[in-house]
Amino acid sequence: MIRRSRPSEKRPPVDEIMPPEGVPLKLKVAGVGVRLAAQIADVLITFVGALAIFLLLIALGATDPTSTLAIGVMLFFLIRVPYYVVSELVWNGQTLGKRLMKIKVVAHDGGPLTTHAVVARNLMKEAEVLLPATLLLALDADEPVLMLLGLAWIVITLLVPLLNRYRMRLGDMIAGTHVIHLPVPILLKDLAAEAPRGAATGDRFTFLPHQLDHYGAFELQTLEKFLRVEERSVALSEYTNHRATLAAIVDRIQHKIGHADPIPPSDHREFLRAFYNAQREHLEQRQLFGDRRKDKHFAASSEDE
Amino acid sequence: MDQGQLMRSARFRKEREADWKRLERLVTEAETHGIQHMSFAAARDLSALYRQATTALAIAREVSLDKALLEYLEALTARAYLSVYAPQERVGGVLRRFFAQSAPRAMRRSWPFILAAYLCLGLGVFVGYLLYQESTGWYHVFMPSGLAGGRGPEATTEFLRRALYDEAPDKSALGAFATFLFSHNTQVAFLVFGLGVFLCVPAILLTVQNGLSLGAFFALYVDRGLGVDLAAWLSVHGVTELSAICVACAGGLQLGWAVLFPGDRTRRDALRHAGRDAAKLAIVAAAMLLVAAVLEGFARQLIQQPETRFALGWGVGLLWLAWVVLAGRSPR
Repeated sequence: MIRRSRPSEKRPPVDEIMPPEGVPLKLKVAGVGVRLAAQIADVLITFVGALAIFLLLIALGATDPTSTLAIGVMLFFLIRVPYYVVSELVWNGQTLGKRLMKIKVVAHDGGPLTTHAVVARNLMKEAEVLLPATLLLALDADEPVLMLLGLAWIVITLLVPLLNRYRMRLGDMIAGTHVIHLPVPILLKDLAAEAPRGAATGDRFTFLPHQLDHYGAFELQTLEKFLRVEERSVALSEYTNHRATLAAIVDRIQHKIGHADPIPPSDHREFLRAFYNAQREHLEQRQLFGDRRKDKHFAASSEDE
Repeated sequence: MDQGQLMRSARFRKEREADWKRLERLVTEAETHGIQHMSFAAARDLSALYRQATTALAIAREVSLDKALLEYLEALTARAYLSVYAPQERVGGVLRRFFAQSAPRAMRRSWPFILAAYLCLGLGVFVGYLLYQESTGWYHVFMPSGLAGGRGPEATTEFLRRALYDEAPDKSALGAFATFLFSHNTQVAFLVFGLGVFLCVPAILLTVQNGLSLGAFFALYVDRGLGVDLAAWLSVHGVTELSAICVACAGGLQLGWAVLFPGDRTRRDALRHAGRDAAKLAIVAAAMLLVAAVLEGFARQLIQQPETRFALGWGVGLLWLAWVVLAGRSPR
């Protein structure tokens, strides 16, 4: 039997980074598609820059037709290499293309992004893909061995990111970096802190502890999501549909917790808000005592352990 | 609703919300203008508020079930973390430090690999030379036809001589520079470095093969009594360019060595560790190739006497050696 070196559950989650402060942060690893898009944008930018200088040189008559291709390739190379390194140093791990796609390079171990890391990952990019690609274009057909070698090399390096959890290129592995999506902080209003509409809601609906013992954090947060959609004004065409969903949810909760009194449709929303507040307070209270309830199956799962 | 009626987690949020909003503004400022351009007070507040937010996030994960709050704090703290731990170096300083200290130190540290690379090249030259002496047929085995440019065993001695002392090349100096920058040897250098990751073997093979063709080429000229002239012709850029190939090979060997013999580390860690020096070697190789291209594109056409060619080529080589041996030593 093949011995696994480590059980997979022990590994930290992919999207987590441990900064020196010791509180793990969630930073979503960027996929290959987004990075390819950023890369294409960067190649276009550097290409246009090289083209501009190239046209200027032709206008000044500094070149002659026999070496046009060589000069073009050289300009592209001389502009491209510093572009990646300098932009990632100045913009903290972002090139223009990466800014466009809202992705960023971070140090894999959570430390600061060092100069060495930036230089190493971008140099490897040259050796990995860009130079072999340029050489493939420049090579003659009478060197099939070199051509095949270059092609195989490019294919292999492009496959590497697909084979590890962090989508690291070879350059990322050597530099100790990976690429993440830049998180966007948006603070929504606190549902529980707002004054519920309709006076004295707190008195109209009261929930007993045993009624609040049915649900866990997952259901609570699903309800939160639904209530936030509710916040936004709903188009008239969706209105009936929406009322129906609301009624269904209220009915379901009432049934589950054994809330006997009938609730008129006009009060559905208030009922849900009150239930959300009560449920959240209850679950947070339980959590303080070390009783985390992930979802409604918490009773069954805690017996297993 | 007043404070007393709020539940614990809502109160927690209300007390800190103003700080978070301020942190959000500071992070945006740091991201757009850079931390170096922020005022002292703003930079100080940024790091202080970042640490507070980290603590708040740790607490919120324990006490709050408000998903919106948790997601906001996660994102805000992550953004602040990215600005606080940003690279703080200026590009000019990086360049100076690299050439004055870190690069020569890395070169000295990896001397066994560089030595091994030179040995590979030397071995190739030696074997190529001997094989040509045995049979001129070997020449076409080692020499890519595109590179030879008609310079083969069949060519007349006069033709070979003219190739060495070609007064008027039909290319502009810039064009020559560009062509030689992307010459065969540059391709070899980059392939040699990149392929080092694949367990050293391709890097060694390519370096030896390069040496073989050089040896055969040399043997051809020695055969026609043009050995010294060729040596002079090659010296101008060859000393720098062949050294660049060896340095690139040494970088590749170092990476391959790390993968083959990681020691106590995991392979990925070993690769990362070796990468620190290997990347520097690659940059040095690239810089040397640039210098070689300048020498080949400009200097070689201007200087025609073998003695001057020798002096220039080996002089530049000595400068490289002095730089590697002497630069970046810490004073005792």
